Amino acid sequence: MTRWLGLTALLLALGAVHAASSSTAQTVVAGNLVSGPHSDASVVTAVPNGAPVTVIERQGGWYHVRTEAGQDGWLPMTSIRYSATSSGAAAPGTDWASLFNSGRSGSGGGTASTGVRGLNTGDIANAKPDPAAVAQLENWAAKPPEAKDFAADVPLKASPKIGYLAKVKP
Amino acid sequence: MSARLKTVLAGALLMALPLGASADLDLGKLFSTIKQAFTPATQEQEIAIGRDAAATLLGASRPIDDPAVQNYLNKVGLWIALQSDRPDLPWHFAVVDSDDIDAFAAPGGYVFITRGLLLHMHNEAELAGVLGHEISHVVLKHHLNALQKSARMDLAGQAAQAGMEAKGYNSDLDQQLMDKVSSATRTLYSKGLDKDDEFDADRMGVVLAARAGYDPYGLLAVLQTLEAVDPKSSSMQLLMATHPTPKDRIATLSQAMALGNFDRFGGQAEAQDRFEGVVKGLIEAANKKKEAPAPVTKK
Repeated sequence: MTRWLGLTALLLALGAVHAASSSTAQTVVAGNLVSGPHSDASVVTAVPNGAPVTVIERQGGWYHVRTEAGQDGWLPMTSIRYSATSSGAAAPGTDWASLFNSGRSGSGGGTASTGVRGLNTGDIANAKPDPAAVAQLENWAAKPPEAKDFAADVPLKASPKIGYLAKVKP
Repeated sequence: MSARLKTVLAGALLMALPLGASADLDLGKLFSTIKQAFTPATQEQEIAIGRDAAATLLGASRPIDDPAVQNYLNKVGLWIALQSDRPDLPWHFAVVDSDDIDAFAAPGGYVFITRGLLLHMHNEAELAGVLGHEISHVVLKHHLNALQKSARMDLAGQAAQAGMEAKGYNSDLDQQLMDKVSSATRTLYSKGLDKDDEFDADRMGVVLAARAGYDPYGLLAVLQTLEAVDPKSSSMQLLMATHPTPKDRIATLSQAMALGNFDRFGGQAEAQDRFEGVVKGLIEAANKKKEAPAPVTKK
């Protein structure tokens, strides 16, 4: 019974957190807030460097944001930086990592770090080969026709002619 | 190779050898060894080397026991790999059991992503960007070349011998190859590739995602998420030790994408609903397992 209560609570949490999806950021360059996610959209207002904004959604290389003054518009995605967090829940959308950890810590919650599995340079430097784990990968491998059907479900349309990008000096 | 260069190389090798070995030194054999060390691996040899590198990486972090998630990852990954210059490799993808943030590629078509990184994403286009980056490392043979170089030996030749002469997995030659690849893997994957390899994989990765029909800005979105995670947190330790900073990668990649007019692909698919369904399933399955541990005798 406790188990089902726990699961129900988690499902409710999934719904609740999903609804709260905007996030805070600040601009890292001065620029124009524009009326749509494209460079020829009309200018709504100028935004200085370091201005706090609320990010509502992303579309391609643009973020839909709201300024502190309540003005709504779009900024190029690289003109903002998310506010620092310890968990990385900064971007708009569901914070799955926190949900996973709170679910795992049991119905009491609180100790989110319970059983967290690490992987650091030391773990790699001391790794012992596990050939059985490699053999296990065959169970999950996909075949090209499955991958194509899977893409068609979205649908994802392949554009094989898109060329590689030229190297840019940093 | 010129006669002069041969002499210089032979001299260098002689100096490097212990005194006792120089007595019955076979110069012809030495030169064939030098030549082999620079022979590119065949695809079969690359796969043999990659299998051992993958075994080592999975020794540090096992695949999660969730067939629905693993099947999903393999379909997304293969669809992107099919858009690359090496669609025919035996591609294998897996989510591994760690809450820290990282992803890996190994020669021959192995791509692993931690659960921690997966849970920091918001849609399939973001996943496609990360998988595109890892697939590009394989396509460009970054780890294969680095492993061969760091092992300072002929992994390809050894893989060929192991393949031809081995009868079973535990033959001596297979074991020797495993030992050498495993040792080189532990060093390479805890130090990381050259930074340029990472920037190159970013640029190719977004092209593969775009070719596959995804919004190619997914990789930049993931890097922006990671930029906001405390770089000193334990969840970022391995990624920060082995990659350029998210900030540098964002700056370099966004410039290349702007020059390539990638804005025109910004409206491509994100496949958010499908991604969220899979992640919710992962969390629910993990939660059920936690709530209902192995059967006990007493109720």
